Amino acid sequence: MSVSPILEVRNLQISFVEQNRNRLVLRGLSYSLEKGRVLAVVGESGSGKTVHALGLLSLLPAAARISGGEVRYKGQNLLACSAEQLRQIRGAKIAMIFQDPSASLNPVLTVGQQLIETLRAHESISKEEAARKAIELLDKVGIPNPEKRLDEYPFQFSGGMCQRVMIAMALALKPDILIADEPTTALDVTIQAQILRLMKDLQQEYGMAVIFITHNLALAAAIADDVLVLYGGLCMEQAPAEKLFTHPLHPYTQGLLGSLVSVSRKTEHLPAIPGNPPIAGEPLPGCPFAPRCSQATEKCSQKLPPLFAKGSCYVRCWLEEPHGSTH
Amino acid sequence: MLRYIIRRLLLLPLVMVGVTFLLFLLTQRLSPEMRASLYVRDARQMGALEEVISQYGLRDPVLKQYGRWMKNVIKGDLGYSPSANMPVAKAIKEYLPATIQLAVVTMLLVVFFGVWFGASSAVHKDKWQDTLVRLVSVGGFSLPIFVLGLLLLMVFYGKLGWFSPGGYSFQTDLIIHGVSFKTYTGFLLIDSLLNGQFRVFVDVLSHLVLPAVTLCIGSFALMVRVMRSSMLEELNKEYVRSARAKGLYERQVIYKHAGKNAIIPVITLASIQFIRLLGGTVIVETIFDYPGIGRFGVLAAQQLDIAGILGFSLMVAVLFVVGNLLSDILYTAVDPRIRLE
Repeated sequence: MSVSPILEVRNLQISFVEQNRNRLVLRGLSYSLEKGRVLAVVGESGSGKTVHALGLLSLLPAAARISGGEVRYKGQNLLACSAEQLRQIRGAKIAMIFQDPSASLNPVLTVGQQLIETLRAHESISKEEAARKAIELLDKVGIPNPEKRLDEYPFQFSGGMCQRVMIAMALALKPDILIADEPTTALDVTIQAQILRLMKDLQQEYGMAVIFITHNLALAAAIADDVLVLYGGLCMEQAPAEKLFTHPLHPYTQGLLGSLVSVSRKTEHLPAIPGNPPIAGEPLPGCPFAPRCSQATEKCSQKLPPLFAKGSCYVRCWLEEPHGSTH
Repeated sequence: MLRYIIRRLLLLPLVMVGVTFLLFLLTQRLSPEMRASLYVRDARQMGALEEVISQYGLRDPVLKQYGRWMKNVIKGDLGYSPSANMPVAKAIKEYLPATIQLAVVTMLLVVFFGVWFGASSAVHKDKWQDTLVRLVSVGGFSLPIFVLGLLLLMVFYGKLGWFSPGGYSFQTDLIIHGVSFKTYTGFLLIDSLLNGQFRVFVDVLSHLVLPAVTLCIGSFALMVRVMRSSMLEELNKEYVRSARAKGLYERQVIYKHAGKNAIIPVITLASIQFIRLLGGTVIVETIFDYPGIGRFGVLAAQQLDIAGILGFSLMVAVLFVVGNLLSDILYTAVDPRIRLE
């Protein structure tokens, strides 16, 4: 199967500039995303997952710099685009939704105004037509009474409803790619499931590719075709979802899966990975997970392993080094 | 909303009584003779003082005197101001429009430039535009108003002769006090145009420029700082990021999204400053000899014109309450989350 990918990320590096010091928080990330696929990017806080997502659309805060790499959307390098080219892609071709839906909407503009301006930033349509479309969109994401809700302000919506509005806005122009940065983290668990269901349905209906960023492995399992595990700004393992969840290769992924709490299984203590994640931007010479890894050898803390290909999977661990290879 | 307005207006009499009663108590520190003396043309005339004192009951208990004054106020009679040589109510009617005119022009300048420069300073943070705006605002903030006023007078009146201080020109006075000049609003800037008297308009405007600029500088400095910091805060918020992610134009992101939120604290500041300008352009009106209410207040205070002082304070109190109410109402227009109840 050789479909040309819709998004290709090559060796993306992002650093924060702090007091004349560069802290590399994303240490070269590469992956490709095909049309209609859902890629989950999983990692703890500080792993670089959100920074990577913001970097794709050049939405990074002022202190952050993209220090290397390429982001190719249909062959076009987004990091080399002009501001206007980028603007035309944002929202229309690649849309994004965020972690805190209530904070992501402007408090002093109505939901309708915010939807309509999105439509009109990319299409030359009248206000009336845009309003009609906005009502359709609100209806589509399951907001009851959309005509009335159009004139309401974000503070009159619950968190879940705000996220539905954000989704409506993201889907307004039928983008090829949706980047969802922890879209359910700020929501109640019951609402989480609803939003996830909605995203999954719409993703299939629109045939969008989705980059789903989460710290929650269970969510990733529920929605993703492929999973990429980030740790310390590095990809630790990338694999099709069913493989990763049944046969995790990297000790870190194994640890993550092991620490999932199951309701049916009562345990005395909660399983956890010992130690703390590395401080972002202060890389160790070896594998960033080595200090917490029960299987670490001396080599692990001295030399950073490359990503080894193993069938359809990639894993960054010396234990998976193919025999006979000379590194 | 209506209930809120009514409730706030019901507070008005309380504030009025509070302010004037305190002042009234203070005036009682003066002997009845001193209080009467202003109303007597020749104090050496035998019995003249005593006549005024007994006529106005100046030896009565404080509460009785205050009650009498209040009763007249309710009837619309604020007493006679010897310093202005006319009834207090008439003096306010005569001088207040000029001050309002000055305050409005000043505030328009302050808000317009303050918001503009403050916003662009935030957008270009740490670039030369920002540095320049901050430099000017620190400078303006540290320059006392009387120094600046005198400086402007020296340059633009003394050296260049562009503007004139003091009263309006003789011709202007003739025209505005003439029979054919109709008073529509009491604001000379508007009335002169409505009367088709363009030269009067220019004369009035030229008397307005220096005091307005002087008043501007200090307020402007504060406004720029508030707008700048408010804008910086808003630009870092998540909704700004999502506005960019939607593919909006950068000017939409900055002015429509961040700007509309950033302006909320500016409204508070602007309304406080506006009310202060209405009651207290004392220094500037004195420096430029501008025929406004502040100058009236100073003259009344200097001459111990008690009716004038009380009337002036009463007016300021009313302006404060009404002004604050208006700014509250303005909030609801800008921020939908605010509901007045």
